[in-house]
Amino acid sequence: MIEVVDLTRTFRGAGGLFAQSDVRALRKVSLKVERGAALGLIGESGCGKTTLGRIVCGLETFDGGDLLIDNQSVKTLGDRARRKAFRKVQLIHQDPYSALNPTRDIAHALIDPLRIQAGLTRRDQAWVKRRAMELLSLVGLDPQETLYKFPHQLSGGQRQRVVIARALTVEPEALIADEAVSMIDVSLRLGVLHLLATLRRELNLAIVLITHDVAAARYVAHDGELAVIYKGEIVEQGKTDQIISRPVHPYTQALLSAVPVLRGLEVEGPDRYIPEPEVQDQGLEPVGCLFSTRCVFADEHCRGHHPDLSKWGDGDRLMACFKPQERRVVAVAVDATRQA
Amino acid sequence: MKSAPLRRPLSDSEIEVSIRGLSVSYQTSTGLYDAIHDLSLAIHRGSITAIIGESGSGKSTLAMAMLNSVTFPGQIRMGAIDYADVGDITGLSAESLRRFRGEHAAMVFQASQDTLNPLKRVGAQLLDMARSHGHRDRKAILREGSLLAERMSLPASRVMAAYQHELSGGMRQRVSMIFALALKPRVVLLDEPTTALDVLSQSHVLQIVRAIHEERHLTTVLITHDMGVVAELSDRVVVMYAGRIMEDAPSQDLLRAPRHPYAKALIRAIPRLTGPLDRAQALPGAPLELRQIPVVGCVFRDRCTLRQSICDEVTPVLREVVPGHRTACHLEVES
Repeated sequence: MIEVVDLTRTFRGAGGLFAQSDVRALRKVSLKVERGAALGLIGESGCGKTTLGRIVCGLETFDGGDLLIDNQSVKTLGDRARRKAFRKVQLIHQDPYSALNPTRDIAHALIDPLRIQAGLTRRDQAWVKRRAMELLSLVGLDPQETLYKFPHQLSGGQRQRVVIARALTVEPEALIADEAVSMIDVSLRLGVLHLLATLRRELNLAIVLITHDVAAARYVAHDGELAVIYKGEIVEQGKTDQIISRPVHPYTQALLSAVPVLRGLEVEGPDRYIPEPEVQDQGLEPVGCLFSTRCVFADEHCRGHHPDLSKWGDGDRLMACFKPQERRVVAVAVDATRQA
Repeated sequence: MKSAPLRRPLSDSEIEVSIRGLSVSYQTSTGLYDAIHDLSLAIHRGSITAIIGESGSGKSTLAMAMLNSVTFPGQIRMGAIDYADVGDITGLSAESLRRFRGEHAAMVFQASQDTLNPLKRVGAQLLDMARSHGHRDRKAILREGSLLAERMSLPASRVMAAYQHELSGGMRQRVSMIFALALKPRVVLLDEPTTALDVLSQSHVLQIVRAIHEERHLTTVLITHDMGVVAELSDRVVVMYAGRIMEDAPSQDLLRAPRHPYAKALIRAIPRLTGPLDRAQALPGAPLELRQIPVVGCVFRDRCTLRQSICDEVTPVLREVVPGHRTACHLEVES
């Protein structure tokens, strides 16, 4: 459904204190998501995952490679056709607090795009109201109760559900959820993640979850794929459960190691290591592996040569590391250790 | 590593902060509502105490009250907050209170970028703060700031000369910790210190918090909604809901054997990296708004799966079930 091929995006350097050179947000990223599939894009702030999400939704341009929606390169499409293609791909923002107009009630947030949709599909006004109610129940909200509320009267989780309902007004084929739960209370996150998984199943939507929280990605893409991005480059990719239980790239391992261990319920994974703190970017483009400046396993070879994404093991697993090694870094549930 | 959980009653000399019968209320157009209701809590010297709860549980209000910084339309309606060697801060004069904040107890705010002046360099702001607390020795305070910066793996000279927009989220969070620690307070309150950070920066900030806590013999209070942060950092955890304490226990005990249905539900709702997917269950419903909080009965009953008629009629009392472990649930006491 969505395919990116060798996608590249470079931002001209703004004169911040620590980043005066150009920022290479994406370096030849290739990915593919089919309808009904789920993909988790994992990485830290600034790794390019948000840029990738915005490009795929048509909100950002790219300067190299290609983006295909339903096997059609968006570069070949005219304005009208491109708008139509991008309508199939909807973005869910991180911040449900600023994604809704505080002075308009939920009914308006949904009815405006639905009117346009009704015009496009030759449906009447009665449909608009009915559809708004339908969408609210679909995202797990009580339509009667929610429709005339204002955003400030809803919890973070409820607000994010409204944002999802609004994205569904245009009948998309894919949802790009950019840190869609990171600003919501932990207690309410699971509800929103379950909702995304349900929508994927029931509406056959492709879901791309962009996040730094691997556990969150697992609840949406447990039977899908994860792609780990570091400095605009995919460093590891494969089936979700494999990446979590047997990561081979040290960066993936660092990300998974950094997840807090629920002491009392869990014990540390046997190979867990506390990653190196972030290193200040010197503004120089490293010749070797981009992660070698922070990697505890890196040697001279890693610093002098750049590893390409290549196959690992059997199946569709990919990784870019000169010294790949499976490590079990994820915490183990206490009851599981007792059984073993 | 972690100190052993405290299982005996605290003697007065071990208590750094004692909150007694605290009620904080907000005046609204429809009446006066308690965001904190009759809350009592003794905080052990040298401990890291986590206060966990959802949005609207009153945890941030509690943190503000602990510095007597609740602003209109909120007010401390009842109760006392005693700090060791200071006394009840609800009775302090404005000038003593100003000195108390920063020199005795300091807070690191959630949106730390909003607490830094965008028009001033970090070093200049640090000097401003020191001057307002009567420090004349500019060199000493800058030295202390640089020392703290290095302690937090920040390039000291560059950070002191930087404007806040030139720093990343993780760096700003650490800079606001420098501000909180520069005047050498005994008590540090951290309000959601890692919420805006990604997982690697979070792990780094938590490491730093623990190290500095130990080096400086601090008493640390951590406000959070994330049980992972609690597990990683705190010795003890206080679970709040609708302005009341639902459960209070050593952190590992709470994670292993929570007693209150709310604490159980909070732990069950954590997305996990391993184990069966259906082990994690979303917490149903939404947190109560201030004006929805019932006056009589258990405040959690609307979201509780074990609700019985007694929960509607009688307000449960927070009581000790095993030494060092308090909970406020009728059904727990009966079982």
